Amino acid sequence: MKDIAAYALDAMLKAGADKASCQAAQGRKDELNVEANKFTLLRTLFNDSLSLKVLKGGRKGTTTINKLDRESVDKAVADCVALAAQGEPDEAEDIAPLAANKDFDARIGGFDADKLFSRSKEYLEQLKDEFPLIMLEGMTAEFNSENKTYANSNGVLFNTQSEHYNAGSSFVAKDGEKSSSFNYYYSNLAGLNTPFIDLGITRTLLDESIRSLNPRMFDGKHVGKVIVTPACADMLWYTLVECFLNDFSMIQGTSRWKDALDTKVVSDKLTMRSAPLHPAIVGGERFTPDGFESVNTDLIKDGVLKSFALSLYAANKTGKPRAGNASWWNVEIAPGDAALDDLIKGVDKGILINRFSGASPGPSGDVSGVAKNSFLIENGQVSDALVETMVSFNLVDALNNIVGISKETNTDGYAVLPWVCLDGVTISGK
Amino acid sequence: MLQDLLTARKAAFKDYTELRAQVNATQRVTLLSGNMTANDQNATGGVSARVYKGGTFGFASAAAYNAESVGNVLTAATDNALFMQKNVNKGLAPLPNITGQKVGLKTTPHEPVNQALLIDFTKTLDALIVRECKNLTSRTVVAHCLDIEKLLVAADGADSHWFQPRAMVYVMMTAETPDGDQVELMKPLGGFGRFDQLFTDPAAWLPEVNKLYEQLMDKREGVFANAGLQKCILHPDLAGMLAHEAIGHTVEADLVLGGSVAAHNLNKPVASELIDMIDFAHTAFGEPVPLPVYVDDEGVPAEDVNLIEKGVLKSFMHNRDSARHFGVKPQGNARAFTFSDEPLIRMRNTVILPGKDKLEDMIASIDDGYFLIKTGNGQADATGEFMFSVDLSYEIKNGKLGKAIRETTMSGVAFDLLKTVDKVSDDMAWDLAGFCGKKQAMTVSCGGPALRCDVNLGGR
Repeated sequence: MKDIAAYALDAMLKAGADKASCQAAQGRKDELNVEANKFTLLRTLFNDSLSLKVLKGGRKGTTTINKLDRESVDKAVADCVALAAQGEPDEAEDIAPLAANKDFDARIGGFDADKLFSRSKEYLEQLKDEFPLIMLEGMTAEFNSENKTYANSNGVLFNTQSEHYNAGSSFVAKDGEKSSSFNYYYSNLAGLNTPFIDLGITRTLLDESIRSLNPRMFDGKHVGKVIVTPACADMLWYTLVECFLNDFSMIQGTSRWKDALDTKVVSDKLTMRSAPLHPAIVGGERFTPDGFESVNTDLIKDGVLKSFALSLYAANKTGKPRAGNASWWNVEIAPGDAALDDLIKGVDKGILINRFSGASPGPSGDVSGVAKNSFLIENGQVSDALVETMVSFNLVDALNNIVGISKETNTDGYAVLPWVCLDGVTISGK
Repeated sequence: MLQDLLTARKAAFKDYTELRAQVNATQRVTLLSGNMTANDQNATGGVSARVYKGGTFGFASAAAYNAESVGNVLTAATDNALFMQKNVNKGLAPLPNITGQKVGLKTTPHEPVNQALLIDFTKTLDALIVRECKNLTSRTVVAHCLDIEKLLVAADGADSHWFQPRAMVYVMMTAETPDGDQVELMKPLGGFGRFDQLFTDPAAWLPEVNKLYEQLMDKREGVFANAGLQKCILHPDLAGMLAHEAIGHTVEADLVLGGSVAAHNLNKPVASELIDMIDFAHTAFGEPVPLPVYVDDEGVPAEDVNLIEKGVLKSFMHNRDSARHFGVKPQGNARAFTFSDEPLIRMRNTVILPGKDKLEDMIASIDDGYFLIKTGNGQADATGEFMFSVDLSYEIKNGKLGKAIRETTMSGVAFDLLKTVDKVSDDMAWDLAGFCGKKQAMTVSCGGPALRCDVNLGGR
């Protein structure tokens, strides 16, 4: 990959680029597929990719192809230079400066096809024995390997060789004509030592699907507490980044926190990191798409906004600091000091929410949607499964109303998350 | 244009086999408040093979497209099929043969248009927005082209060569409300065709932009909806989303087998008698549909699928394997998005058919309710439970449109909602703007008339 990247970089400069960067990658994916509890397909993908960026007079062009042969690279270089010539000058466009070049090795010993198949088969057999009412809408179990190089005309050169497995399923419980809502759980894995049914909160979610076959409606409207489980990361953490921290909201100028760096924005109980190098994160980013070595970054520490999730371009554009990585989905929420059981005991009337089906909130941070795979909490105990139950809240207000964070955490190889109890959430039945 | 390196291999197929060469080419220019944040041109292509043995498939793909890589993916797919046969051994008979005639190109493939066309168009339209639309917090104009060319050879059925050009411009505006919040609206423009044919004059799109701006200004002064069950008119754009997301997915046969609530409702009433719903293949109402599919990616000639007739669920959508399971004929719903994707059961052009009522009469018939116009995103469940964001809606008071509504959501159980439909408008609208997500992305179109029905709205 280094040779291809060097060739493409040289070609872009010879073609007139002032600055240029290139990312070349070659990889393979092997993927087992299951539908309706039966194996259906084994898929092997031989993947190539080449991404080029040219800056000429402050004008940018970018081109991506999935070929690495000389003729295709030459054409992509010519296309990219032509795009840049047609672009608009923008002083914020740049490439990473030279720092310490590095090679990273995140290989795990190669693909074991027989083991992947036997783990998958074991999962289906365990479902049949222990959770006979569970029907898999789909399951994938895969092995991914990649050799990737980033190089730019400032002399930056990174290479990573990586391997990881991924396994998981989406499922419903089915009993006669009754079906539960679907749920899912997928994990990034550095090996196949653990049966898939024992990964993270898989058993809990399977059990809860079966308990959801006879749901009830939430009575009336209530403003109170919800406990958000680690399975529901999108409702809080990913939404927070999209609304207030990422390139789009900051360049648009719509982020409520655009001028709030180093000020308290949420409850001091919350510490949130973007952490691709966390030991529980599998296959985490080692260098960013714009050419910086990745480091873990505190986004919020003890309630204080410490970093936006900005690329080099957005940082230059807004005058705010660049983030230490571009993997904000590798989120780590620092655990609290409460046992999950005690968090639940502290809820007189509220819900435990496992999945959220909601609209992407606008810049205001108002969140509204259906609480899926969720359960009523009454008098400190989890009771009935719920159906057609809406929750609505303002994200900033809710994160200023954190009642407690569990000391238990769950990891699925993408994120490390505890259970979080929020107050002031509107819960309503039909 | 893709060279045919596939047909010569057909004589050597031993089991049911598909060979597919494909290129997806995209172009994109993004102006974010006047800053050109994207100026991209991408192409992803290659060849794939899928082989069936005894009840399971083997699949392989490679980015290179030449005689050697075609041979390599055939070998790898066969090896994968053998691995599955050895380890799974379902012992099923070969898939039933399909008959069909080869279908050639209906639209001639073209090279990417000059990127300067996208740049000039977005810059000019952006300047018009600045001139016409005051007091915006931000504005975004995105020009996006997606051209897909496929060459398919299957062991039986119909071989095909297919090209689908799609050109879109997305306009998004944000404005601050009097109480300091931000509200936004987005409008997709365009559809099937080349950018240089659909977008010749930015000024010609100004009426659409001005309408979007007026709606945003209404929303800026908007109120919050009353939560709970409300009498509503669904605009045709929203009815199309309902058809696709909340109903269509529940009647895809793979999801039926995976636990969808529709499994037990075949030939039973699932909607008002006013509801007819069809997944069109390539022609509707005597005209080509927005996304014509003549042959699917399993070589099955595409036909319309009558999903709901007079409120009764009549069919599921199938691939070859599920059609055999249910003992019916596949009708061309197996589709793959990129060369490296396997065909999945997907919708094509999914529509609730128009009725006999006039939209203005439907609005006039409501004393206290809502006109729901635009949806942002939506999700549905195996149970038929759905949730859509409603980005633009208005109160209806005494038969007339009132104040705009801030963001809200609509939710419910699709078949329950359809049973409350008591008026269906005599017009309809198509939507080809988005992508459907189901393991892979997919271009789909959907559409429908306006519907009067009872809807559960979210509120504050």
